[in-house]
Formats: sequence, structure tokens, C-alpha cells
Amino acid sequence: MDLLQILVNGLSVGTVYGLFALGYTLVFSVLGVINFAHGAVFTLGAYFTYLLIGGAVGANGLLAGFQLPVALPFWGALPLAGLGAALVALLVERVAFRPLRRRRADPLLALITSLGAGVILVNLIQLLVGAESYAIPTSVLGGLPASFPLLGARVRTVQALLLGIALLLLALLSLWLEGSRNGKGLQAVAEDPETAQLLGIDSTAMVRLAFGLSGFLAGVAGGLVGLSVSIAGPYFGIGYGLKGLAVLVLGGLGSVPGAVLGGLIVGLAEAFVPADWSGYKDAVSYGFLFLVLLLRPQGLLGRPLPTKV
Amino acid sequence: MTPLLELRRLTVRYGALTALRGLDLQVQQGELVTLLGANGAGKSTTLRAISRLVDAAAGQVLWRGADLAGVRTHRTVRLGIGHCPEGRRVLARQTVATNLELGAWLRRDRAGIAADLQRCYGLFPRLAERRRQLAGNLSGGEQQMLAIARALMGRPSLLLLDEPSLGLAPKLVAEVMTALAALHREGLSMLLVEQNATAALEIADRGVVLEAGSISLEGRAESLLADAGLRASYLGDTS
Repeated sequence: MDLLQILVNGLSVGTVYGLFALGYTLVFSVLGVINFAHGAVFTLGAYFTYLLIGGAVGANGLLAGFQLPVALPFWGALPLAGLGAALVALLVERVAFRPLRRRRADPLLALITSLGAGVILVNLIQLLVGAESYAIPTSVLGGLPASFPLLGARVRTVQALLLGIALLLLALLSLWLEGSRNGKGLQAVAEDPETAQLLGIDSTAMVRLAFGLSGFLAGVAGGLVGLSVSIAGPYFGIGYGLKGLAVLVLGGLGSVPGAVLGGLIVGLAEAFVPADWSGYKDAVSYGFLFLVLLLRPQGLLGRPLPTKV
Repeated sequence: MTPLLELRRLTVRYGALTALRGLDLQVQQGELVTLLGANGAGKSTTLRAISRLVDAAAGQVLWRGADLAGVRTHRTVRLGIGHCPEGRRVLARQTVATNLELGAWLRRDRAGIAADLQRCYGLFPRLAERRRQLAGNLSGGEQQMLAIARALMGRPSLLLLDEPSLGLAPKLVAEVMTALAALHREGLSMLLVEQNATAALEIADRGVVLEAGSISLEGRAESLLADAGLRASYLGDTS
């Protein structure tokens, strides 16, 4: 395969991993725990996108044959699916995280409650729409050609779009975090929740904001993967979820640029695995993770522990 | 007249440990009260109860006569309570300027914020010099100044200060105390927790000595300062 095509493939998969890991990072930075329901939210985003473009539910599940009365263009469906996923993420926060926080329980307990919420969501999907796979046809992109020439190679349009949208979202999120009032408030809560409250920052509102944003990113990533690959059933988010975790650790827990960089590295590493060896992609990415952790336990861009004065 | 802040029979427990037992305390408008005592006497707990970081097991915290029970911490800031916490707690990964900006989180009056920022830089000129630096790279004294300035950016009616002199060189202690005295002269009410009793009593109107969670002694700052026996027995101050 052509080097450029490999690069685009790797980068586009990598940015999806990056979006995924950013969602984990946002929640981790304010609460100090991983939201294990994140993969399920990603999966829901893919299904939401499928339904919003007018896709019909198959023969299995309670909703067999169901179809929304509207068929939106992909550009309309994707952000709406993101919003839907954000709402689900807020619901996860409400039932799996907030009751524990209110009781001042050990934050690590949320690992179990969020895992439970994730399993319930995935099972709900299966119950409602069955376990079959769904594809978002590339025809939803309208008149765009399936591929286009770039520097003498052919690049799949879907992959270029995926790369472009993911990069745009990553850039917007970074700008928002550094430049906006709420972005700074979120960072303050991430660094020291108690002090943030003493400055008048409503930490509960910031936690909700982090969940909403992370859900939106996951939902959009789900829709994009559904378009570029397919929705391989209710469990297809789990593999991405684990990969996102690997990316998160590789880049450095709680680091926004680290999540992006980690995603790109893992995506590229996988893309360079020859097609005959594609069954070993996961071995490559996890092997890489293992190596990095041996040499740099805090991850590539992870901060050494903040200076306690 | 209703005191600005009044604690009535305030009791706070951490599990089996009782940190405060029936504490009664008032701070009048414009008053600087210093809360003294050994480690573990309940000084920080008092401030944390006022800011609602800990719940009262019994008794009340009254702010301008209204009970603060059930009010969440970030709401106390809007009510006018500024809390400069123990250990400074500056946001180390943010710049000096951003720390100060976050201190004005609840305010929307841009002109007023800009004016207060200049006032803070005037009060602590070192902060102006270092405004673009990360707060984590400041010296301990500078971080303390930043923590005080950050609390002032919220325009509090009452400033709670938790051991602002801790870990500072004597010259810096004097500098911080001078700044606090200046704020007091401008009419700011303060509740100052200190281990450095002499430095605190020199700028305070009134002193309250805590021992094992309740008041063992209180009085005018001048008379407490004059009482050499008090220093030895209650304050462990040998200066």
C-alpha cells in the first residue's frame, strides 16, 4: 500500500482514538477516575447517527423495523448524535457517579458503577435493536466522490473527513480549555476541587460539563467510525474503549495534548502493520504501550506530580 | 447590631474525633479577630466550617444573622466570604494572572475586576512582576501573597486567612502582616488563624485562643499581647 494512504489511515484512526481518550481525560481530570461507560456512549453515538440518517432497525430487537420519520443529512445527524450521547453521559454521571460523590465514597467505587452503567447501556442496545451490524452508507455524504487523488496517491474521502473533523474538534476543545471562562474553571476543578470551590466555582456544574463534553466527543467519534467502518453490533465500542484507555495511559493521564498524541501514535503504529499481519494490530499497540510505560511511567506528556508546597 | 459572622455552640466532628466543641465566636463588621492556639486546637476546622467545607455536627454558623446550614461552599463566596486556605493552595499549573482572574470567578464587572487587579498588584508588587509566571514556580512568600490577592479578587466582606505566615521568613511575615493591616484599615473584616501569635495580635483588634476545640481565653489584642504568661502557657510562644 502507498505510504500516504497508510499515513492517512493511521492518522484518521488515531484521531478517533484521540477523541476517545480525550473523553476519558476530561472526566479523569475532574474526578480522578476512569468512566468505564465511555465505550457504551461511543457505541450509542454510532447508533444515534445511523437512526438519524433514516436507517431502519433490523428484524431483531424490540424496535424491529423501526425507522425515524425523518432522514437527516450526515452533517446534521452527526452533531445531533453527539448531543444525544452527551445526554446519555450526563445520565451516567447522575446515576453512577453523583450518588457516590454525595456520600463522599471512595472515588474508585465509580469504576464499578460506571462499568455497570456501560454494561446496562450495551445490553439495552441489544434488547432494542438486536445484535446485528449496521452500516452507514457513504452515500449520505451526498455527491462527494468515494476517493480523491492527493500527491499521486488515492485517499478515501471518508477517512480524510474523519481526520478533518476529529482534528477540528480537538483544536476547538484545546482553545476552549485554555481560553474560555468555563475552560479555566474546569482546569481549576481538575487541579484542586476544594480550592476551586473556595473561589466560587460550582464543582458539580464543572463535573457535569466534563461529562457532557466527553459524551459529545464520544458520540461524534462513534458516528464517524460507523461511517468509515461500520457498526459491528452493540459491543463494538468495547475494543475502542480499551484502545482509548491504552492511548490515555500512553499519552499521560489527564493530559489533553497527550491524549491526542497518544491516539495518533497508536493509530499510526497499527496502520504500519502489514495487511497479512493485521490480526496482530492489538499486539503492536499494547506492546508499544508496555514499552512506553517501562521507560516513562507517567506517559509521554504526563506531568510529574504537581509541586506540593 | 447583627454581627457579620456569628458561631453559636458550633460543634464539628471527624468520625470519633471532636474538633470543635460548642464554639461561640463573633466577628463584627470591620473587625480583625485572630484565632490562636496550638496545632489541632480546631482553628482550621473553624474556618472550614464557616466555608461549609465541613458540616456542623451541632450548633450554627450565622452569616449576617442567617444560618449557613445546607449552603454549598461555592455559594458562600457569593455571600461575601473569602477563604484563603491553609497551605496557600495556589493553582500551580496556572499563571499568576489566571489565578487572580479565577479569584474573580463570580464577578461580571470587568472595570471593577481590572481596578481590583491593579489594587492587588499595588499591594503586592512582586505579583505584578511575575504575572506571566506559573504560580507553581513562585517562592513560598510569593504564593502566599498570591493566595491573599486571589481571595481579595472576589471582593469579600469577610476574609478568612488560614496561617498566612506559615513557612515564611520573618521579613516576609512582616510584609504579609503589613498588607493585612492595610486591608483592615480600609475596613475589611478578617478572621485570621495564626500560630505566630505575636505577629497576629499586633495587627488584630481581638484575640481568641482555642484549646482542644473550645475557647480557653479571649480578649483585646493589646491585653493579650501584654500578657507574657499567656504566651508561655497558651501560645507556646517563646519570643
